[in-house]
Amino acid sequence: MALIKSKPVASAVEALEEKPSCASLLVQLSDENPEVRRWAARDMLHCEDACEALILRLKIEPELSVREVILTALIHLKSPHSIAGLVDCLRSEDASLRNEALEAMKQLPDLVAPIMVDLLNDQDPDVRIFSVNILESLRHPDVETWLIDVVQKDPHINVCATALDLLSEVGSESALDAIVSIKERFAGEPYIQFAADLAFKRIRES
Amino acid sequence: MSRTALRKSDEITISEEDFNKFREFFYRKTGISFEPSKRYFVDKRLIDRVIATDSENFRSYFIMLRFQASGEELQFLTNAMTVNETYFMREEDQFTCLVDSILPEVMKRKVATGNRLIRIWSIPSSSGEEPYSIAMCLLERWAGIYDWDIEIISSDIDTGILHKAKIGRYSERSIQKLPKAWLNKYFRRIGEEYQIDDDLRGAVEFTRVNLAEPADTRPYRNFDVIFCRNLLIYFDDVSRKTAAECFYDALNPGGFICLGHSESMSRISALFKPRKFPEAVVYQRPLEAR
Amino acid sequence: MKRILIVDDAATVRMYHRNILESAGFVVEEAVNGLEAIEKALQTPFDLYLVDINMPKLDGFGFLRELRSEAIPQAPAIMVSTESEANDQLSAYKAGANVYLIKPVKPVQLLTHAHLLLGEAR
Repeated sequence: MALIKSKPVASAVEALEEKPSCASLLVQLSDENPEVRRWAARDMLHCEDACEALILRLKIEPELSVREVILTALIHLKSPHSIAGLVDCLRSEDASLRNEALEAMKQLPDLVAPIMVDLLNDQDPDVRIFSVNILESLRHPDVETWLIDVVQKDPHINVCATALDLLSEVGSESALDAIVSIKERFAGEPYIQFAADLAFKRIRES
Repeated sequence: MSRTALRKSDEITISEEDFNKFREFFYRKTGISFEPSKRYFVDKRLIDRVIATDSENFRSYFIMLRFQASGEELQFLTNAMTVNETYFMREEDQFTCLVDSILPEVMKRKVATGNRLIRIWSIPSSSGEEPYSIAMCLLERWAGIYDWDIEIISSDIDTGILHKAKIGRYSERSIQKLPKAWLNKYFRRIGEEYQIDDDLRGAVEFTRVNLAEPADTRPYRNFDVIFCRNLLIYFDDVSRKTAAECFYDALNPGGFICLGHSESMSRISALFKPRKFPEAVVYQRPLEAR
Repeated sequence: MKRILIVDDAATVRMYHRNILESAGFVVEEAVNGLEAIEKALQTPFDLYLVDINMPKLDGFGFLRELRSEAIPQAPAIMVSTESEANDQLSAYKAGANVYLIKPVKPVQLLTHAHLLLGEAR
């Protein structure tokens, strides 16, 4: 039979030397081999300043596989130091990095909640759209209030549209007035009429 | 059911809009889509969960479900909505795909290097039906068995179930889809049950692994094919991501991974390229990738 | 009947576009991101793709890259986005979009472009 019983798994791999120092992990984070960079990112979890190093690398890392491991490490670290860097990534020219950072922020609700109001009032409408997006997975008593606020006050149609979409799912009767008023504000916009009617129906009939 | 529970299930209703809201959320999270015809199926399970979680009504249950940090309720619910039986030759198309499409590509790539060892990882092993099915398919249907060496490693987080898998004794229910000839060749009957013979048992290495734990998964490298079917669907977002990244490093460049029929990498990770074969859609770690 | 794949992570947007396109007799399917779009296109290719830019896992540019690399049978693509700066338009065309529309899209806009692009295809 050509099905061989494998050697014990551990010996099938190069023997693991003693854990590399944080200083050498830092260097490995910039190694030319992506596999080395991935393992450095994973192993840095116990290092001080891991966050800063990971964010710095994230911003310039060309390989998706490495960025993903860096983001997972940041999610596990749950450090407030990572949030500012992730917000920077939301402003990146690179669509992939923006979206990857957004997904990571959704996994860090406790870190995002304190800056939510600032994000929702950011100058850049695209950042405000991302911020509304983050609310999708944020457990916080003010989520509905924030969404209603956006719908009532945000000048940008797509920011309002994103908020309306989420209100369909999590809105309550308190949101109904805001939904009616946005229909008036964007009376000539078929998408807003559609999304508002849907939100109204979903809230009313649940 | 107690009278209180009976009464409660009468009181809880799922409106059309409730169903739509839930459907969209569940599709977003799992990729599983419910036709309107599945209303009864879905409603019943939702109502069961509303009651089981002591929720006032569907609305409050839904809010809890959506925002729960642990994701536990979503896992329970996913479990309730999916069929999780294990048996030999489950989702057989993928084994056919392995023999007819995946291995030929793997062999073609490896033949140049002179490395004639192919490594397959089956996780979770559960009670062993999957890795033993793979072993039998290779022995019975794969021509390459004569010129290539195969290593099958199968892992699970649960040592109890691993123990069962190593013993290799199965019920009538489990062996139903096996070709009779294979049953006769690889099993012997013991009372109402079927015992895998020692040669086949010896062909699979069983190990304990927690996929969410990088320390556990670190030694798993140089695999050519990974079967991870009907497991990730029950994980939360971060654990799924971690698992996908683990698989990336566990595979050789160009290696393949098979998920369950109703699962998709689209909710999990963009690291793998979908590949369509005649028998199944599987995922591949890019060849050029390091 | 022409088949169109709507690729957008927002359910409401997908529903809105679906209504418009179905009312004109097109057959519509949906995908929540570029990755799911590739999977669906591999199973049964589409005649037209309507693709959002910002999506998790694989964004609109990533999807177009795959589409134009011929991993999937070629078909025209309309890219939709909330961005309105000029260089995003340019990136869209460079990535292989045939048309670039700014959200929210009006029904007549969407239908006009869909008909034009599908009419051009043999």
